[in-house]
Amino acid sequence: MATTVAPVEVTLGRRQLYMLPTRYGLLFALVATVLLLASINYGNGLGYALTFLLVAIAVVSMLHTHRNLHRLRVAPGACVPVFAGETAQFELVLTNNADTPRFGVVIEQNGAEVARADIAARATAAVMLGQRVTRRGWQTLPAFRLATHFPLGLLYSWSRPVHIDHRCLVYPAPAAPLPFRTTPTETLRPEQGQRLGGDDFIGVREYQPGDSPRHIDWKAFARTGMLTTKQFGGGYQALVWLDWDALPEFDTEARLSVLARWVLEGEAAGAHYGLRLPGIVIAPDHGEAHEHVCLKALALFELRP
Amino acid sequence: MNPAPDREAFYWLYLTAVCAVLPAVAQLPLWLVAAFSLSLGWRFASDHRGWRRPGRALRTLLLIAIVIAVYRQYGSVLGREPGVALLVGLLGLKFLEIRTLRDYLLSVFLFYLVLLGAYLQEQALWLGAWTLLTVSISLVAMIHVVQPRGLATRAKLKHAALLVAKALPLMLVAYLLFPRIQGTLWGLPADAHAGLTGLSEIMRPGSINSLSESTAPAFRVTFEGAMPPLRDLYWRSLVLTKTDGHSWSRPRAFAAADESFEGLGEPVRYTVTLESSNKPWMPVLDLPAEIPPEGRARNGYTLEFRMAMHERQTYTLNSYPRYRTPPLEPEERAANLQLPEETSPRVRALAERWRHESTEPLAVARAALAHFRQENFVYTLKPPLLGADPVDEFLFDTRRGFCEHYTAAFVTLMRAAGVPARIVNGYQGGEVNAAGNYLIVRQSDAHAWAEIWVPGDGWVRVDPTNAVAPERIEIGSDALRRLAERGVVPGSLAPAAVLKAIELSGLDRVFLHTRLYWDLANLSWYRWVVGYSKQRQERFLTGLGFGEISWEKLLTALGVGGLAILLAYLVWQWRPRPERDPVQAQYLRFCRKLARTGLVRAAHEGPLDFARRASGTRADLAPTIGDITRLYLKLRYGPGELSGERQVLKRAVAAFRV
Repeated sequence: MATTVAPVEVTLGRRQLYMLPTRYGLLFALVATVLLLASINYGNGLGYALTFLLVAIAVVSMLHTHRNLHRLRVAPGACVPVFAGETAQFELVLTNNADTPRFGVVIEQNGAEVARADIAARATAAVMLGQRVTRRGWQTLPAFRLATHFPLGLLYSWSRPVHIDHRCLVYPAPAAPLPFRTTPTETLRPEQGQRLGGDDFIGVREYQPGDSPRHIDWKAFARTGMLTTKQFGGGYQALVWLDWDALPEFDTEARLSVLARWVLEGEAAGAHYGLRLPGIVIAPDHGEAHEHVCLKALALFELRP
Repeated sequence: MNPAPDREAFYWLYLTAVCAVLPAVAQLPLWLVAAFSLSLGWRFASDHRGWRRPGRALRTLLLIAIVIAVYRQYGSVLGREPGVALLVGLLGLKFLEIRTLRDYLLSVFLFYLVLLGAYLQEQALWLGAWTLLTVSISLVAMIHVVQPRGLATRAKLKHAALLVAKALPLMLVAYLLFPRIQGTLWGLPADAHAGLTGLSEIMRPGSINSLSESTAPAFRVTFEGAMPPLRDLYWRSLVLTKTDGHSWSRPRAFAAADESFEGLGEPVRYTVTLESSNKPWMPVLDLPAEIPPEGRARNGYTLEFRMAMHERQTYTLNSYPRYRTPPLEPEERAANLQLPEETSPRVRALAERWRHESTEPLAVARAALAHFRQENFVYTLKPPLLGADPVDEFLFDTRRGFCEHYTAAFVTLMRAAGVPARIVNGYQGGEVNAAGNYLIVRQSDAHAWAEIWVPGDGWVRVDPTNAVAPERIEIGSDALRRLAERGVVPGSLAPAAVLKAIELSGLDRVFLHTRLYWDLANLSWYRWVVGYSKQRQERFLTGLGFGEISWEKLLTALGVGGLAILLAYLVWQWRPRPERDPVQAQYLRFCRKLARTGLVRAAHEGPLDFARRASGTRADLAPTIGDITRLYLKLRYGPGELSGERQVLKRAVAAFRV
C-alpha cells in the first residue's frame, strides 16, 4: 500500500547550482597552458588555433554541465512503508522539461553517489534512494544534492542541499514470536492453542477485496470466471483482540513490537483481529488495508503527527 | 564518475592516438612508429586475448630503452624533434599501464601535444581540418568515459561535434585578438626549419634544368591597383654579370647599395607572399622604388632578405615599370663588358658584323633578335646538353634551348659587340587567380632575360626568348607546357592557332578552376594561420578601426568578445520556455481530439465539468473520457505518482478515437 506525502517539489534554479573544475579539468588547463607557451614561442598559428579551440571547448562544456542540472525538477514519488531496521526506498521523480536529454545526473548524500539517472528530453525518470530506517513513525528523506560531470568530466556541477517533503512510514520492528495473550476482561475469546481460522472448510462466499489470495477458489474461478473465497472455520469464530494491556511487563516500544508481530501473524492466519491501544480502538477486521491501519496506529503511537 | 575506462573507451583512445600521431609520422623514425604501434597492439591483445601486460620493472626498462634510443637518434632528448619522438614513445608505453580514469584522460590530453609537434613541422590546410577531426574524437573518448552507458555512439559523436561547433566562434575571437608577440620566449632549436629548393645563384646554360618542371608556387602577388599585363611582369631576383663562358654569377663585391634610378609614370604597389626558399632573394617587379624594412639592396636593383628565409614571408613595395637609370661608372661598364679570353672566334665574328652595321646598342640588339628569329632556332624545355663552349655550340650547332640559352648567348654577343649587357634571373608572368584576384607565380615561371645599357635610357630590358617563342611571354609557361604536350613546336604557329592549341578542354577547365580555388584556400590559410604575425594582426585590427594596438587593448577586446559570445549562448540556454508540463500536454491533446467533434472545453470549465458534459453528449465515449480525466487529475493534482503512469496516460490519449 503506497503512502504518499504532500508534493513539495524543487526546480533547480541558477542560484542553487555551483560549479568547479575537477582535477581532470585542472590537468586539461595545464596542458592548454603548455600548448599556449609553445605556440607563442614558435609563433605557430595552428598551435594557437588548437589551444584556443581546447579552451573554448572547456568553456562551452561549462554551459553544457550547467544545462545538465539547470531547471531539473525533483519531486517525491511513492514510498512503500517498511519496518524499522529495514531499508526504506524513497522514490524521486526527476522531470526534464528541456528539449535536450540530461545524462549522468547523480544524487549524492554525504558526498557519496547514491543514485544516478539519465532523463530523456521532456520526460521523467524515477530513482530510488535506499535509506536505512531504525525508528518507527514518519521518517523523512534526508537532504541530498544533485550533481553531474557530464559531458567531459572537466567540470563538476552540484546543487545546494535539496530538502523535499518526502516521508516514509516506518512500522515498529516486529518482535520475536510470542504466543497470543488476552486480557481478563475479554468477553468473546477464542480457544487457546486453537489455530485461528481453523482447518475445516465451511463453504464459499463472494470474493471481497482484501481476501487472501490463498483462500480464493481458483478451480471455481477457472470453471465459472467468478472469484469466490473459501471459508474456513472449524466451528470457532476466529476473532482476537490484540490488547496493549495484555503485555504489562514490556515497555512501550517493546509492546508495540510484540503487537506488530501479532498483527502480522493474525493477518497471515486469516483471522479477524482488533487492536486496542490506550485511547485507540480498531475494530476487528482482516485484509491488507486493515493490517496497514493497525500497523500505522502502532507506528504513530504516542508520536506527534 | 566511472572509476575505470571500459573496452569501448579504449577503442576511442586508440582512434585518438592514431589521429594525433598520423600527421607527425613523417618526422618520426620508423622504429618509433613501430614501437608505438606494438604498444597499442599489446594493450589490445591483453584486453581481448588475455595477454600478460608488462610489470613495473619491464615498463621501466622499456622507458629507459626509448629514452636512450631517442638520444642515439637525435643526439639529444631536448628540442622539437626529439621532444615529439619522446612524447610519442612514452605515450605508447603509457597504453600498457592505463588503469584509472586519470591515466586515461592524461593520455588523451597529451595527444594534443603530439598534434602540436606535427604543426611545428608543417601547418598545411588539411592539418587544420584534421585537427578538428582529432579533437572531436578525443571529445568522444572523454564523453564515453564520463558516461559509458545511455548514449549511442551517434549521440556521442553528435555531442562532440556540437561542442566543437559552439567552441569555434569563441576560438576565432581568441585567435584573432590574442596579442601576438614578436620573437620567441626561449631560443628556437637549430632544427626548427627544414630545407627547400629555389632559384640557383649560378646559371649554367646547357647543364641541367630542374626548375621548369616544378609547378610549386614560388610566390603570390596581390596588386593594390590594376594588375599590369602579364607580358610586363618581370620579377627580378638576381643580376648576373660575371662569366667564364660556362657559368654566370653575381659579382663577389657587395655592390652598389646606392644605385638609383628615375621612375617614370605611375608606380605599381603590390604585396608579395613568398614561399620559403632557404634563399634570401626577394623577387620584385622591375624596378623597385623602395626597400622593405626586412630587406636590403644587392647589385642591379635586386633586393634580398637580411638572412636566408625558411618560412613564408610577406612584403609590400612600389615598383616603377618605366624608368631611366643613370650613366655607368667606368668599372661597372667594364664588368658588364667582361668576356672570357676563350670566347670562340665565330661568336666574336658574328658580333663584329652587327657592330659594323650600327654602333647604336638598340640596333645591335635588334640584329641579334632578328638572327634568332630568322635562323632555325627552336624553343624547347628539353634541350640537348652542351659541351665545352656552350654559347658557341648553341649558336651554331644545336640551336635548341630555353631562356637561359638564349639569354646567355645574347649577352655574350652584346658584350662582344661592345654593348654593356647582363643577365637577370627571376620569374616572368604568372597565373591570374580570378577567384582570389591575385597572381600565382610558380617555380616553372622562372625565367632569365637580358639588360643592355643604352646611353640616355640606361639599362633596358631585352628578352631574347621573346624573339623565338613570343607565346612564352604572352601566354605563360603553363600554356607552353600544354603546347609541348600536344606536340606543337613553339614559334611555328600563327598567334590565333596558338590560342586554339592551348585552349583547355572542359575537364581541364574544371580542373584548372578547382586548382585555382584550392590555391586561394591555401593562400588564405597562409595569411590567417601560418602568417598571422604581430604585424598582420595589427594591420587587420587597424583596418577594423581599432586604432593604435596595445596588448591591454587586445586582451580587453578578447575578454569583451568572448563574454559577449558566452552571454549569447547563456541567453539562448536560459531563454524562458513555455513550461510545457508533459501531463498537461497530453490532456490538451485529448481536448483537441474532442474539439474536432464540436466538444470544445470552455475557458471556465474544469476538467471534471468538461468530462461530465462530454460524457453526456457522447455516451459511447463516456468510460474512456472518465478514465483519461481521472488519470490526468491524479497525475497533475494528485499526491505523488507511480513511475509508468504517465506512459499509461500517453497511450490512452493516443488510442482515444472520436
